[in-house]
Amino acid sequence: MAVVANADKLICSHCKVEMNHHCDKIVYNVDAHDAGRTDPNLGGIIEEFHTCPKCGGGASRHA
Amino acid sequence: MEAGRPLFIPVILGTSRMGRLSLHAARLVVGELGKCGGVETDLIDIARLPLPTNDAGEAIKEADFSAKMSKADALVLVSPEYNHGYSGLLKHVLDSCLKEYIHKAVGIVGVSAGPFGGTRVIENLLPVMREIGLVTIFWDVNFSSVQKVFAEDGRLLDESYIRRVDKFLKELIWMAKTLRQGRELISLG
Repeated sequence: MAVVANADKLICSHCKVEMNHHCDKIVYNVDAHDAGRTDPNLGGIIEEFHTCPKCGGGASRHA
Repeated sequence: MEAGRPLFIPVILGTSRMGRLSLHAARLVVGELGKCGGVETDLIDIARLPLPTNDAGEAIKEADFSAKMSKADALVLVSPEYNHGYSGLLKHVLDSCLKEYIHKAVGIVGVSAGPFGGTRVIENLLPVMREIGLVTIFWDVNFSSVQKVFAEDGRLLDESYIRRVDKFLKELIWMAKTLRQGRELISLG
């Protein structure tokens, strides 16, 4: 849905506007590929959730 | 937020059992949602989703179901109560998505042949809803003795359910609008 524009903002691939980062969620079901990304203090990976203010489309990425 | 974009609130029928009377309840909710201005809906029958059972979770994500969950602003779950719980297939389906649900509203409709109207299955679903990122409303609809609520052809026999569904949907729509505003405009701390 989105491409990374810079370190902070996702850009909606459909509307070309900045998406709103509205949620972080910890994800525990990490496989070996993701093991290096695990936050040692939280015990899982933080997933960021972003939504486009124009079309409502969503996107996520590892923090 | 783009003005005029309708809310999309699909109804998930959470059982594949033959002869399920929950289908009548789900169709009633879809019909009442269809009367709400600015709302689009769809009936998603989990019995028709082509999900494999030799794996689970997001690994078996089904493209059409995922797209509908992404588009959704809120969900209605219609679940019968089987041995005080929900169907295994419903959990299997729900677990196939995650990011699609985040900060979206959900209302639960319980269905039972007995007098409690699915209250126990609703209670069992609440922690699942929370963990997958959905936001539950505090209105439920409880179809008690469902075999007396609908005729065999699905016709509603007890008109009092119209008002109950209406109150439930009003709350769900308010929450859907509010959470859409939040997702699109209010940033995390």
